[in-house]
Amino acid sequence: MADKEKRRSAAVPSGMSAGKATKSDSDVEFLSQAGVGELLRGAILKMVEARSDDPIGFLADHFCNLASVTDSSPAGCGDEEQMNGGPVSACAQEQQHLNRALWHLRLAHHSQRSAFSNNVRVAYDLLNISACQRGGVRGGLYTQTLQCLCSEGGVPASTSAPLLRRLHCQDHEVVPYDVFRHGVLTCAVFSDYIRQSQKLYAEVCCPHEGPASRALCMAVLGTLKEALETSTGCEPDSIRYLEASAKISPNRLAQAMEGAQSRGPGGNMDAKEFENAAADLFITRVKVVF
Amino acid sequence: MTQTSDHHRRMSCSEDHTESVDCTVKPPVFLQIGDTKGDSARSGVCVVDVTLPYGKPINIEKITFKNYYTAYVTVRLLRRKAEKEGSTKWCTALTDLALMDNPHTDGGSQNYFSIHRRQMQVQPDHVESIRLILRQPSSAWRIFSLEDIRLFPHKELAPEKEVSDWLSDLIVVKQPPDLEGLPDPQTVSSSIQQMWALTEVMQANRTTASIGRFDVDGCYDINLLSLT
Repeated sequence: MADKEKRRSAAVPSGMSAGKATKSDSDVEFLSQAGVGELLRGAILKMVEARSDDPIGFLADHFCNLASVTDSSPAGCGDEEQMNGGPVSACAQEQQHLNRALWHLRLAHHSQRSAFSNNVRVAYDLLNISACQRGGVRGGLYTQTLQCLCSEGGVPASTSAPLLRRLHCQDHEVVPYDVFRHGVLTCAVFSDYIRQSQKLYAEVCCPHEGPASRALCMAVLGTLKEALETSTGCEPDSIRYLEASAKISPNRLAQAMEGAQSRGPGGNMDAKEFENAAADLFITRVKVVF
Repeated sequence: MTQTSDHHRRMSCSEDHTESVDCTVKPPVFLQIGDTKGDSARSGVCVVDVTLPYGKPINIEKITFKNYYTAYVTVRLLRRKAEKEGSTKWCTALTDLALMDNPHTDGGSQNYFSIHRRQMQVQPDHVESIRLILRQPSSAWRIFSLEDIRLFPHKELAPEKEVSDWLSDLIVVKQPPDLEGLPDPQTVSSSIQQMWALTEVMQANRTTASIGRFDVDGCYDINLLSLT
C-alpha cells in the first residue's frame, strides 16, 4: 500500500484547504460536483458485500485501488512505471491488472456464493482487457493468478505445485470464463483445505509429545479417504452425503484411532508429510484442465 | 400405449427383463350378425380370450402384441377378489384403444404395441383371464387379429438393503472405546468433516468447459481422414 501512496495533483485538495470560509450552499455544490456521494456510496456497498473484519483497512484498500484505476488510463503512467512519460509497458500494466484482479478475488470468501461469483466475474473482465483478441484470459496470466491465490492463502509452493500442474494453462492458450472460475474456486477451496489439515495435524499430535504417531495419522486420513470414496453410483446425493458423513462420525473416528494405536505401523509422521498426504486426497479429485 | 414403427422390435431396456408368463391364447371368435349357418356377414368384431394356467393368477405389468389390421381393442379382465378365496369378476381395463389412425388405411396395421398397467383403468392384479375385443369397422380389412400376445408379470421392487446397514451403525451405541492418550474424537471428526465438505464443494463445481487444448480445427473430421 505504501508504494501506491501518491499525492494526487488534482484541484480537489487545494480547493478543500481554501474552502473553509464558504457558505453551506457552495459546500453542497462542491460535494455534488466532485461526485463524493457516489464515491462514498460505492465504498459502503463494497464494504457491506465484503464484510471484512477490518473496516478501516478495507476502506483504505478500496480507495487505493480506486486511485490506481483512475490513474492507469491509456495515456497516463502507472504507479510502478519506471520511465518518465512514454508508453506504458504492457508487462507493467498487466501486473497492475493482476493486482487489481487479486484484490477483487480477496474480497469475499468462496462460501459467500453470489458475492464470490460477482468478484470472479469482475476479476476475469479485468484480466481479459490485457489479453489477446480472442476473448479470454491469457494462459500465463491465469496461471499466475492461481499461484498468487495459493500463496496468499498460506499454501506452501511445494504443496500447491501438484494442484497447479492440473489446473495451469500454457501461455499461448486462451482461458474461457468457466475454466477461470473453476480454477479460482478450486484454489480458494484448496487454501481452506490445507489450513484445515494443518489444524487437524495440531489436534492429532499430542501437545506434550513431538510429531504425531504415523499409525494415528494414517488412521485419521484413512477415514477421510473412505468418506470421499463413498460410491457415487445411482444413489441420490443426499444418501451419499449421509453415508459419507456416517464414516467420519466421532464414533467411527474414535474406533479408528483406538485401532491404530494397537495395530498401526510404527514411527512418526511430521507435519509436512501429513499435509502432503492430505493434499493428495484433494488433488486426485481435481479435474485436469484440458 | 407405446407404438413402434413397422418390423422394429421394441426392447424394454429400461425395465428388468422379465419373461412373459405362460398363457393360452384361444383362437379368435368372430361375432356374426344373423344366423351362424346362413349369413356369413362379418360384423367386424372379434373376441380373443387369453387364459392363465389354473390356480396361477398374475399381476400384470404389461401386455404386448403385434397388430394385424385391428382398428380398436378393448381389454377386459377377469379378476379374483381376494388372494385365494373370493369370487371372480369381469371388469374393463381399457376401452376402444385405437391401434390404427384410420381404420380404412393401413397406418399402424402391423405395428407392435405394449399396454402398461399404468394405462389401465383398473389395477390388473390377481387376473385369471383376459378378454381382448377387437374391432375393425372398415370393410377393407375383413380378416384382422392380434399376433404374438404376451403377458408380463408385475415384479415388486426389491427393498433397498444397503441404506439400513450404515444407518443402524449410527444408531447402535457400542461400548465407548478407551481413549487414553488419544486426541478428542469430536474435534478431530469436526475437522475431518470440514475437509470432506471442502472437497465435495470442489467436486460439485467441476466445469465441463475446456480450453480446447487437444482440438485441432477440422483435421479430425472423419470424412477427411478417410481420404488419406
